[in-house]
Amino acid sequence: MTLISVERVTFRYPMTERAALADVDIQIESGGFVLLVGATGSGKSTLLRTMNGLVPHFTGGTFSGSVKVAGRDTLENPPRRLADVVAFVPQDPGSSFVLDRVEDELAYAMENLAVEPSEMRRRVEEILDVLAISELRDRSVRSLSGGERQRVAIAAALTPGARILLLDEPTSQLDPQGAEDVLNALQRLVHDLGFTVILAEHRLDRVAAFADKAIRCADGTAYLGEPAEILSELGAGPPVTRLARMLGWTPPPLTVRAARLLARDVELPEPDLVEQPSGAPRLVADRVTGAYDGHVAVKEVSLTVGGGETVALLGRNGAGKSTLLRILAGLHQPSMGKVSFDGRSPEPGRSVALCPQAAEDILFSDSVRSEVLATLAASRSSKDVSRYLEEVGMGAYAERHPRDLSSGQRLLVAIAAIAATEAPALLLDEPTRGLDPETKEALGACMRTWALEGRVIVFATHDVEMAAELAGRVVMMAHGEVVADGPPHEVLSDSHVFSPQMTRVFGRGWLTPRQVAAALGGS
Amino acid sequence: MKKRSRFQFGVLVVANLLGLAAFIWPFLLPAAVGGDEAHGVDAPWIVLGLLVCLGSLLFLELGRGGMGPKTVALIGVLGAAMVALRLPGFVAGFSAMFIVVLLAGNAFGASFGFVLGATGMFASGLFLGGLGPWLPFQMVAVGWVGMGAGLIPRGKSWGLRLGLLAGYGFVVGFLFGAIMNLWSWPYLAGSAAVGWHPELGAIANLRNYATFYMAYSLTWDVFRAFGNVALVLILGRPVLSALDRAALRMYVEIKEPKAA
Amino acid sequence: MHQGAWLLWATCAGLCAITTTNPFYLLVIVAIAWFVHALCSRPGPALRSFRVFLLFGALTIVTRTLLVFLSPPVSASSVVTGLLEGLRLASLLIVFGTFNAVSDPFAILKLAPRRFHEPALATALALSIAPRTIQTAGKVREAQRMRGIHISRLRSLPALAVPVLETGMEEAMVLAESMDARGHGRGPRTRYRPEPWTWTSFGSVALCLVPVIVFFTAIHAGTGGLTVSTYPLRWPQPSLLLLASLPLLCVPVLFDRAERP
Repeated sequence: MTLISVERVTFRYPMTERAALADVDIQIESGGFVLLVGATGSGKSTLLRTMNGLVPHFTGGTFSGSVKVAGRDTLENPPRRLADVVAFVPQDPGSSFVLDRVEDELAYAMENLAVEPSEMRRRVEEILDVLAISELRDRSVRSLSGGERQRVAIAAALTPGARILLLDEPTSQLDPQGAEDVLNALQRLVHDLGFTVILAEHRLDRVAAFADKAIRCADGTAYLGEPAEILSELGAGPPVTRLARMLGWTPPPLTVRAARLLARDVELPEPDLVEQPSGAPRLVADRVTGAYDGHVAVKEVSLTVGGGETVALLGRNGAGKSTLLRILAGLHQPSMGKVSFDGRSPEPGRSVALCPQAAEDILFSDSVRSEVLATLAASRSSKDVSRYLEEVGMGAYAERHPRDLSSGQRLLVAIAAIAATEAPALLLDEPTRGLDPETKEALGACMRTWALEGRVIVFATHDVEMAAELAGRVVMMAHGEVVADGPPHEVLSDSHVFSPQMTRVFGRGWLTPRQVAAALGGS
Repeated sequence: MKKRSRFQFGVLVVANLLGLAAFIWPFLLPAAVGGDEAHGVDAPWIVLGLLVCLGSLLFLELGRGGMGPKTVALIGVLGAAMVALRLPGFVAGFSAMFIVVLLAGNAFGASFGFVLGATGMFASGLFLGGLGPWLPFQMVAVGWVGMGAGLIPRGKSWGLRLGLLAGYGFVVGFLFGAIMNLWSWPYLAGSAAVGWHPELGAIANLRNYATFYMAYSLTWDVFRAFGNVALVLILGRPVLSALDRAALRMYVEIKEPKAA
Repeated sequence: MHQGAWLLWATCAGLCAITTTNPFYLLVIVAIAWFVHALCSRPGPALRSFRVFLLFGALTIVTRTLLVFLSPPVSASSVVTGLLEGLRLASLLIVFGTFNAVSDPFAILKLAPRRFHEPALATALALSIAPRTIQTAGKVREAQRMRGIHISRLRSLPALAVPVLETGMEEAMVLAESMDARGHGRGPRTRYRPEPWTWTSFGSVALCLVPVIVFFTAIHAGTGGLTVSTYPLRWPQPSLLLLASLPLLCVPVLFDRAERP
């Protein structure tokens, strides 16, 4: 049975020339897990939002064609009239909460639909159980972790009785465990309870395995197909499908398990283990201890980083990565121990610069050029702005307003504005959180250039594949302590949670598809 | 749509006039109570009740048929900014909270400005523990600051717009103090010579209040006036351009071309 | 305790305070307020409001006394009048300081009548977003410092204000989308777990009304020594009946403590 039918939809945002959706025709059957993929600006978020009427009712613009959800036309029914058939969860549910207590938040949508109080009580209990969040019922929504927030937001959207769930990049901001919890909950909804889940996502290494169908969006067009076919067309699929493309495997595997079956016949030589050379020690932390929010977040950590070295800091949320970075940057005074850069205490913004989480939010000027100029003016530097913009690949956007750029591009501008301090040590806190593959690529290139210039690079990340691609050394943290420190092929291979897909398929020492393909002489 | 907004404007005007009456009753009341001490004590409570009813009426009218999720969300976010800015407290009479009301009121219009001012003040009262009989007065007064800012034209020239806003901020700095001290004056000054003496009549009471204001409030209000001007000049342009962009996104326009 | 009961408690105590300048009554009311605060305050930012209001109260007494010197001649009588009138306003402030310390802001908002749903919701949002706004401001400040931009200078205020505001605006749009997608504004709505008026809440409010009735009856009868004679200066004469009625204002404490887990 067709549940959602998108017929000949063309849509343009107000004051833009290009169509965000051009003559899109999609039919989605009831039940199943549908994955929406495509680059930033390809229209996947727009397409998702047409399915509950947020486009065009919330965005304005020009719309033609028709979208029918469970038989209701979205032009006649604005989102609030569709709340009982389709639920929507935005990318950052933290800012979507209306009430303070989890239980009240779950009831909010039902109150709007005038559900009887006794019925509300019943449904709240039920949804708390289905999503396994009943222990959170009395908590304040502000105190939840990323994965918990996401599950509460899903519950809060489903309570009016909707059987279709739309999610915009639900796992892109979560640590591996949080992402796992959310995906398990979604799988339960689809497999056990027959819900239809449609989800737009950049980070495919986990979700690909769950998909029953996939929709590929590109330049405003969209078509539905089998996940295997669609993901293999994608330049930025999960590592196993990228490898499949390099080696010409068809159909490409979506999961590590499937890839392992195919890899049985592949003969690989011993991995070529090149260790990144490190210069003289520059950034040195000597048994530092630091508290955050009243509890000890970093316990007696010692770390020495040399010039030209790129270090990835891995660990779960709350492992102490951010606090350690802040201590290294001289922003947070350690309660014990000492940090030094080139023998002196670090000067924030001069010798050591930290690019915080969600750095794209620090922009305040009315053009990209003046944003970088603001940094130069503050440090009384007369260097050329365009050099820094070229470095991050944003040279062409110098005269644009930062708010007209995508969030990934804004992040690159913010990084350029921080890098313009010429600080010889650059620390980045989760720079790839929620980034699309293109921006990730640009950022990676940029980090390699800085390392070659002899700068010290330390970045904290959840993204194991990113660490495998870029890091010359991996430091693993847990409970405020360093539990492993060494070259990536050692540290990542020894971990269960933090091992990249290639290691899981081919074993110790294999980190990236590129490395495997090169060893096999593929293209 | 147009008809309703004109009706709304009418309600706004009437309710505000009555609100004004709640502030200036000490000048109007003498004739009515004839200097009876006991009724003089009851009167402020009656007035307070009146003010609460009027504030409610205003909210109801503005919220009739729904403020809509966008307005509710925006007021929530901007109200949060007011709460946050009120936290560091008043430097003499100045609080950075006013800049939000001034600029957002100007960007989003008079009725939004009123609701934002009143809601933000109420929220900060709840958050910081400032609930009391003074709260309705504060809500209405800050609401007026926002409403006035919304009446200042949003022309193309930045110089004119910022100049007018800064001038308005300066005047409002004093007016706000003058009107806010009115509610407590009958109690604070009590039987003092500069206090409220129902038997004296409006003119003499006005003179008493003026003396009281000069002694008690003026110095604080100078800080508020100059603080407002400084913040409008420093933050006006960048913040207003951000708010104007948001204001554009508030309005939804759907065009539906004939499918080919 | 129902939050409305606390609101009515404060109104009753405030009404009693405002009718009198007799320091005996006023000091008993202040003592009751302190007692309620000591036993029923809840943790949170409003907790410190009791101390702030205490300070404001003291300031009021000083201000009122100083006002006396604006209009000579100054006599013992006029100074005492100033002190007592200051004390009256200070008691009112302290009563409401207590109210703020014992009440739960989110629960108070739930008292809003159905037609006030949207303004109440906007207020609730402002309350819950405020701490995050403060956090964002701290983060932006630190991030700008990394670029050598120090917010302490007035000129660099936009570097703080614009990012905080833009982040807030983005949040507002996400919030509005999520509200609309969850049926906000469809029309008549029901309410989840409205806070019920229990017999204990109802009873304690009824008991709090007793001193108010007693005090207002005394005003109109002209008895009870509510207004202290300062011309000529006389020692205040409290009435035992009025004094005895005031401790009824402590009743909510008993019920509130009994209802707590």
